[in-house]
Amino acid sequence: MEVTMDPLFLAWSYFRRRKLQQCSDICTKILQDNPYDQAAWSLKTRALTEMVYIDEIEVDQEGIAEMMLDESSIAQVARPGTSLRLPGTSQGGGATPAVRPMTQSGRPITGFVRPSTQSGRPGTMEQAIKTPRTASTARPVTSASGRFIRLGTASMLTNPEGPFINLSRLNLAKYSQKPNLSRTLFEYIFHHENDVKNALDLAAQATEHAQFKDWWWKVQLGKCYYRLGLYREAEKQFRSALNHQEVVDTYLYLAKVYLRLDQPITALNLFKQGLDHFPGEVTLQTGIARIHEEMNNISSATEYYKDVLKQDNTHVEAIACIGSNHFYTDQPEIALRFYRRLLQMGVYNCQLYNNLGLCCFYAQQYDMTLSSFERALALVANDEEQADVWYNLGHVTVGIGDLTLAHQCFKLALAFNNDHAEAYNNLAVLELRKGRIEQSKAFLQTAASLAPHMYEPHFNLSILSEKIGDLQSSFTAAQKSEDSFPEHVDTQQLLKQLQQHFAVL
Amino acid sequence: MVVRAACRSEKQSEEEDANASNQEDTMPEVKSIFREVLPKTGQLSMEDVPTMVLCKPKLLPLKSVTLEKLEKMQMEAQEAVKQQELAMKEQLQ
Repeated sequence: MEVTMDPLFLAWSYFRRRKLQQCSDICTKILQDNPYDQAAWSLKTRALTEMVYIDEIEVDQEGIAEMMLDESSIAQVARPGTSLRLPGTSQGGGATPAVRPMTQSGRPITGFVRPSTQSGRPGTMEQAIKTPRTASTARPVTSASGRFIRLGTASMLTNPEGPFINLSRLNLAKYSQKPNLSRTLFEYIFHHENDVKNALDLAAQATEHAQFKDWWWKVQLGKCYYRLGLYREAEKQFRSALNHQEVVDTYLYLAKVYLRLDQPITALNLFKQGLDHFPGEVTLQTGIARIHEEMNNISSATEYYKDVLKQDNTHVEAIACIGSNHFYTDQPEIALRFYRRLLQMGVYNCQLYNNLGLCCFYAQQYDMTLSSFERALALVANDEEQADVWYNLGHVTVGIGDLTLAHQCFKLALAFNNDHAEAYNNLAVLELRKGRIEQSKAFLQTAASLAPHMYEPHFNLSILSEKIGDLQSSFTAAQKSEDSFPEHVDTQQLLKQLQQHFAVL
Repeated sequence: MVVRAACRSEKQSEEEDANASNQEDTMPEVKSIFREVLPKTGQLSMEDVPTMVLCKPKLLPLKSVTLEKLEKMQMEAQEAVKQQELAMKEQLQ
């Protein structure tokens, strides 16, 4: 006689081994036989939650509406060094755009992307709408909840019988009385269904039931308020939760609230408080480093990333950021060592090989350069990455003087990503070398309209117009170039020269 | 020669030395039509011509685990939607 395992035990086993779909299937069967089996019900909610779970601390997407119609920040014109919105105020002698490319929001590109670094804050509505939609620069989202909603509906679509739990028919008051069910139910509603309003209802009733003494429910309330954009309420809940119990996560959530309120200094102080309670905590240190980096204070960000590495020497973000910083401060050999370390640790993707290739080339290790780029091209996941690899390869070929190949590389970059402003600019420079002025001008104008934050196309256009005698457009282009990079000496000289011309007239 | 070089700027003397050695090593066979003019006195001036600038090479940022998972989930969701739409179309036909 065949001995079968207890189905619930099997489901648990699947859950522990993260075979979530199987776990959910078994629970469904159990629930068909006995709809009131709370253990199976709870386990199924957990399995479904785990399938779509993403770390709430990392999730942070600002839509255009949040960026432009933001009323929660205290000062519209903040003092230098106290706001994340004034990227130009560099204090740490960070890299200039002459050596380090900038993102659309005017920050130097970082070595690591997280969901929140993707958005960036454009200055004006026009800029926000015109932002190029590439993964590696800035991506405006029409609404912050766009992605959340899509994930929520997707989880329902895959379920032909409709949703597992019909939220509108759920008696939240009843479930909030049962501490062993309410938590899994809350996570299900929050993560799987993305129904923040119902989640908030449940959390409010549950925290009432716990006589406002349970820190966990307070944190969940704070999360709900944060998603709803009620930052001050979220702050209250997190503070109150910290009074009950010191937890690292709560510090991180609270800091996220402060960053959204554009109070980086408060967030920094909070992280330092957190470090007093949890000395050497890596996530808190990383938080400090990220804030310094976002405030364009690259050198002190690097110091904090080094502290992170002292605690955790396999921290990918810290290694990547220090590596990219070395690369852009003219030390490609050292950057190469950091990226090699990442390779040793098992990071195996297109970006890493691309960076290795660049570092090798600029550190004069030519034997590895092309093979790295070949691997990067073999590992690309989408067209934007492919375009970026070809663009960098174009630089290598410019470096070895093979301008025909460089031309082809930049053309390929544009074939894969037609919005690649840098490739347009470089192509324009190559075209001008061949003497094709009209073509070059067209490319520069395209580049300038695609990426108004870069100074290169404006500056090049200014030089080109000046050469062909179109002083007026040269002047306007030079002014735009000065706007995006005020310290650029050549632009200033050109402007001076033009002003002299006009004075003579 | 040595005495004269000493009173000029160091850069010029280096150029001169390089020229002299060039002439000794390689130049004798080919006689240039143009005579080189190297002013021994006066100011050295240089015109700084602005040149076009290339955009800089771009290190690609690595992606965080969360971002990778988000992108993967979004891809899967899009696939699922596509397949469901296809199934719907087939049913209609």
